[in-house]
Amino acid sequence: MKNNLAERRAERRWTQADLASALGVSRQTVISIEREKFDPSLPLAFLIARTFDCAIEDIFTAD
Amino acid sequence: MSKASFTSGRAPAHHYVLAIILGVILTVVVSVLVGASNPDDFWLAAAIGALCTAYPAMSLAGKVFVSNHTVTRDPHGEQSVELQWMRQAGAGAFLDVLAAIVVASLVLAIGRFNIDALAVLPGLVALSVVDAGLRYVVIRHHTLK
Repeated sequence: MKNNLAERRAERRWTQADLASALGVSRQTVISIEREKFDPSLPLAFLIARTFDCAIEDIFTAD
Repeated sequence: MSKASFTSGRAPAHHYVLAIILGVILTVVVSVLVGASNPDDFWLAAAIGALCTAYPAMSLAGKVFVSNHTVTRDPHGEQSVELQWMRQAGAGAFLDVLAAIVVASLVLAIGRFNIDALAVLPGLVALSVVDAGLRYVVIRHHTLK
């Protein structure tokens, strides 16, 4: 899945560690999602969308 | 299954001292018990008991007195990528061990060798652990490089 998580995080001037802390996951998880090496679970995708006040499909798109 | 993250925090100095003291006490107690179970060779048995006990005892003591200050549990750790890495590493290691057992069984059956199971079984455990660990490191490296 493609995503624009890195751009959205940068807009808020958050570090990867900040976002990981907000999501309650490890920093490696954020890195892996941003590099599109790891597709988050549905609960985590919802949590990410809620964190950025948007819908899941605003962040994640199918390849 | 939740995941923990190491923090940059440190425990108060006296917690490290308490951890060492508890670790030493546990090690001594277990080694004396092991030694007492073999009175003919008390010191040898106690030394082996101490060698086997020291690491887990120190780890337990560290968990009790130090980890609360240096490790935090991620609230959604079960969603972390590390869990996927562990699953992949575990699945790969299982197949490796299975293949190793099949090949070794064939070699033993064809060659009509007899080997001591007591020596082989710990080797299988070691192979599983090392294999899973190496696979985890490789998967992690590929993902984060």
